[in-house]
Amino acid sequence: METHRSEKDRVVLVPFTDFDPAKLAGYSPAVPLTIRSLAVFTASEVETLIYVGTGGGKLILLSLNPTLPSTSSDDSSNAPPIAPVQFLRSATVSNRVIESINVLPEIRRVIVLSDGFLFLVDTLLLQSIRKLGFAKDVTAISKRVLQPDSSISDPFGDGAVRAEFSRYGQTFLQKFGGGIRVNGTASRVSELQRGAGTGCFLAAATGKKLLLIELFLPSNVDLDAEHGSISIRWKEIQGIEGVKTMVWVGDSIIVGTSEGYILFSDVTGKGSLIFSLPESSPPLVRPLLRSSDVLLLFDKVGVVSNALGHPVGGSLIFQYVPESIAELHPYVIVARDGRLDLYRKKTGVYVQSLSLKKSSVGPCIVANDDQGTGDILVIGTTYKAFCCRKVSPEEQIKDLLRKKHFKEAVYLAEEFESEGEMTKEMLSFVHAQVGFLLLFELHFEEAVDHFLLSESMDPSEIFSFIMRDPNRWSQLAPRKRYWGLHPPPVPLEQVVDDGLQAIQRAMFLRKAGIVNATDEDFILNPPSRADLLKSAIENIIRYLLVCREKELLPPVKEGVDTLLIYLYRALNRVPDMERLASSENSCVVEELETLLDGSGHLRTLAFLYASKGMHSKALTIWRILAKNYSTGLWEDPIASVDYDSNSTSDLLSGQRVAAAEASKLLQESSDQVLVLEHLGWIADINQECAILVLTSEKRSKQLSPEEVIASIDPKKVEIHQRYLQWLIEDQGSEEMHLHTLYALSLARSAIELVERDSKLDNHLAERSNEMSASDVANKGALTYHVREKLQLFLQASDLYDPEVVLKVVEGSELWLEKAILYRKMGLEELVLEILALKLEDCEAAEQYCAEIGRQDAYMQLLDMYLNPKDGKNPMFKAAVRLLHNHGEFLDPLLLLEKLSHEMPLQVASGIVLRMLRARFHHHLQGQVVHNISRAISLDTQLARLEERSRNVQINDESVCDSCHSRLGTKLFAMYPDDSIVCYKCYRRLGESTSARGHNFKENPIFKPGWLVTR
Amino acid sequence: MASGIENKVKNAKLVLLGDVGTGKSSIVLRFVKGQFVEFQESTIGAAFFSQTLAVNDETVKFEIWDTAGQERYHSLAPMYYRGAAAAIIVYDVTNAATFTRAKKWVQELQAQGTINTVMALAGNKSDLVEARQVTAEEAQAYAQENGLFFMETSAKTAINVNDVFYEIAKRFLQAQAQQQQNTNGMILTDRAANRTTSSSSCCS
Ligand SMILES: Nc1nc2c(ncn2[C@@H]2O[C@H](COP(=O)(O)OP(=O)(O)OP(=O)(O)O)[C@@H](O)[C@H]2O)c(=O)[nH]1
Ligand SMILES: [Mg+2]
Repeated sequence: METHRSEKDRVVLVPFTDFDPAKLAGYSPAVPLTIRSLAVFTASEVETLIYVGTGGGKLILLSLNPTLPSTSSDDSSNAPPIAPVQFLRSATVSNRVIESINVLPEIRRVIVLSDGFLFLVDTLLLQSIRKLGFAKDVTAISKRVLQPDSSISDPFGDGAVRAEFSRYGQTFLQKFGGGIRVNGTASRVSELQRGAGTGCFLAAATGKKLLLIELFLPSNVDLDAEHGSISIRWKEIQGIEGVKTMVWVGDSIIVGTSEGYILFSDVTGKGSLIFSLPESSPPLVRPLLRSSDVLLLFDKVGVVSNALGHPVGGSLIFQYVPESIAELHPYVIVARDGRLDLYRKKTGVYVQSLSLKKSSVGPCIVANDDQGTGDILVIGTTYKAFCCRKVSPEEQIKDLLRKKHFKEAVYLAEEFESEGEMTKEMLSFVHAQVGFLLLFELHFEEAVDHFLLSESMDPSEIFSFIMRDPNRWSQLAPRKRYWGLHPPPVPLEQVVDDGLQAIQRAMFLRKAGIVNATDEDFILNPPSRADLLKSAIENIIRYLLVCREKELLPPVKEGVDTLLIYLYRALNRVPDMERLASSENSCVVEELETLLDGSGHLRTLAFLYASKGMHSKALTIWRILAKNYSTGLWEDPIASVDYDSNSTSDLLSGQRVAAAEASKLLQESSDQVLVLEHLGWIADINQECAILVLTSEKRSKQLSPEEVIASIDPKKVEIHQRYLQWLIEDQGSEEMHLHTLYALSLARSAIELVERDSKLDNHLAERSNEMSASDVANKGALTYHVREKLQLFLQASDLYDPEVVLKVVEGSELWLEKAILYRKMGLEELVLEILALKLEDCEAAEQYCAEIGRQDAYMQLLDMYLNPKDGKNPMFKAAVRLLHNHGEFLDPLLLLEKLSHEMPLQVASGIVLRMLRARFHHHLQGQVVHNISRAISLDTQLARLEERSRNVQINDESVCDSCHSRLGTKLFAMYPDDSIVCYKCYRRLGESTSARGHNFKENPIFKPGWLVTR
Repeated sequence: MASGIENKVKNAKLVLLGDVGTGKSSIVLRFVKGQFVEFQESTIGAAFFSQTLAVNDETVKFEIWDTAGQERYHSLAPMYYRGAAAAIIVYDVTNAATFTRAKKWVQELQAQGTINTVMALAGNKSDLVEARQVTAEEAQAYAQENGLFFMETSAKTAINVNDVFYEIAKRFLQAQAQQQQNTNGMILTDRAANRTTSSSSCCS
């Protein structure tokens, strides 16, 4: 038997043995037997029964064991001891052609049509054959196909004739179950629940009639007993003459004559034409068991119809008019003249073709188990029969994969899956298997595409491609070998090397004229090792990155992340490596430590340590990095790639980054020793970073201020100060000595700045043109800023020791600060002296007097103005001002007295004039206020008068707003808010609160007409 | 089958009839896949397609049987037009004989008493202006007389192809709504008949 493959190279049917029934049965070759009908029955997993009906009325029973090695009867001379096909028995049914054989597993019988009669025989041909006398001139017969999950009417509702050997009399309720398994055998038995027992229906065409036959085997009878135990009922319905083929599906009996196909209902007995056939188109109808449809042949077209005669899908178009058709789910097999073709039932796609050896050509019959089970197909030609096995979807795919037809294999798998012949899991399995094959074929991108399509694949399955076995995860990866079509995993380098070797070998062989299945593209353009490796790594990275997003077992997660770093490192993808290391990850540090250290990927390692909470190690690395940057010893692999241009700024930025990273870690750390250990070098690089470390609020346990302060380099004033400031201002520390320390620190800074400023001024005086104006302004601004901070703190805090601070500022020019300190110490006179005389800040001095709140303070101040010490002239202006502002406490005469007798009149007059003016001004001011008050008073009186003289109209309806009694002629009162009350209520409520609850005292009202607005 | 997912999807069995080479397969191919092939093979038996079409807020799922125009397959046609909700009878405007054949199809359908079937007459190959043998007026008049709706189409240029199906879908939905109203009172017998049909064809 030769196999012609279709374009897709599909092999669904594989012939595995053939046999000559006559020879096996031991008939003399002198009387040749022709094969005219066939039936196949899957008795068990290891035994398939084959019934062969001959042209001379013989029925030959053979047993096929499909699990045995295949043989061919041709080479039987040296055949193995057990052939797969063995002759069991034969029987003579009639002396005419056996037209058809139907196995009836339900009743363990076979029904044979020959010479227009029906014969019943047991499946093993052990008992005698019984002719069913009531059926004559039968031209076709069919078993009823039951539709799953649908109730079917009982064709024997009435009019059934009971056979003489029928033993039961009750009418039965029809109830068909689906196929059931009996005693573990593979045979499906439709059980007819009637009393107890099993049965089946047959339809036979005889002349113009259709015979509906029921065969029933009660369960209390030994299955292999004589036919007498089987009860038979039948019924005739009107049919049609010339039936050549028929099928009974559900309630429809579809018969085919040379005129066409007619559907008879077993319920109504009515027939209707499905379609008629043109001349010379032989009728042939076959049930399609899975879908309970039927296939009707029209020329070389297979028309699929459901049991009601409605079309289902498109037509199947065969290449010839078949002699025989069989359904081997999901295929339809057609045969003619020793040729066999396979089509997909659902899509009509042509799949495979087989042709039988020339010698055995003749009319051709195909048969398989008509219960729809089993994978065996038997093809009968005139003298010889052939057995084929349906290759399972898995085997078909495996076959394609072996031939490296990956695309076709996947396509087929998807097709099987979409048609429900393969599970989704299996499809995932196939994708994974294809992925591995492609990987070894060096098609990494496609390989990963398939890995990603496989839902069942676990990333740990590819770990061994990245890290040589045995590794930390070796035990973890399921040792899935799939179909064993690819070698076990080895590191990618080796995959590439082996693959390249294979390509070279193929090229060599090709030159020698041997063609093998190797990638054409690769042979024509051999890829470079580096490119392949890069592609391999990049694609595996792609795979792992997708896997990262899935839910994985913790150890698998660890593997994925660790190996990602591995792969990134291999490609020197530093930014990716660092991104992964510094984000949340499951890397196993121990696996990477030496590796990263060795290759100088210290930053990654530091990030990794940090992400794993190994702060000390991370910090040590950052410190080393900072040091190396500064000594210029460090050659940063990224620096050389990413920013070659300006290396000095790189060094700086490198150092700064190290400090910043270290600072980030320390900000979270409560480990004081660690913080203090690293604070120094961080501060050396970036004070801000150090300050951030100290003032972080992210740590769970605060550092001890004492120890921190003690450890801060005294030269790093900024850090010291800012830390103290943070302790006091943000943390609200009330430690007195901290406040003192802060004040001292600020004071010292201020003094330093002031001194520097004055030096600068001198400098400026000398070489005025060398300093830019902005420089000067900047310095001044800083001084101002620090002093302001100091002053504010000195004023705000009550917790520092002013004496200690005073000691520091005493000798300086920080007068305001001194004033503040004196004030804290209660030394009023000193304060006033500084404010009034030293700083000449009259406003502050007056303010201070106000704070003191005693009259004598003003007097003291005036005295100071008038009698300044140190040979200063009296400060008349300030004195006049004071008099002007706070004259009520002071005697102007004191001022006048102070005016020196020698004072020139011009000067004195100015002062006196100003004083007098101030007095006069006060007087006038008083008059204005007085007059304004009077005007308001007058207005008010007028408005009151108007209010009182208002007229109100009262009528019968008017009621008191408070007690709601009618006012009538009663006395009444009206409030400014227009509420009216009777006199009684008015007395009760009083004048200030109206009946509406308006309290005029608390909440006066003003009406627009009144001049008074406030 | 898919009606379980979307409630509003209504299945409509549609059949294309007409003489050989009038462009039935081409029209379907244009409608279903938006394609046209110059050398479309003559259909054997019948080809099956399905396509959904949204009409306002309803969806019609067409189950389309594209029959063979070859005379030999004529006897298969009844199987396909039996119980069809819609039929498109196609003729070739450049071939008067195909118009005659189309009229025969109309007669056959009318004789079958398929009154509920929405019938469309499509004068295909309207792009071949030069070779025209059947005028639109003539066809329109015939269509009007026989209660069909008529359009000239071109599978090649896609003119009016989707429109024919859209119009059918609209009329189909209208007819359905009408039927629903009509049968509201005496639905019992109808339903019972329906049930037996659907129960046995549900798994097809
Ligand atoms: N110019 C033109 N050619 C068309 C048009 N429609 C179909 N054809 C061509 O006409 C030929 C027949 O078209 P088909 O679609 O096979 O006709 P059909 O009715 O399906 O024919 P059968 O299946 O044999 O019944 C093909 O060569 C098409 O390319 C059209 O609108 N314009
Ligand atoms: Mg066609």
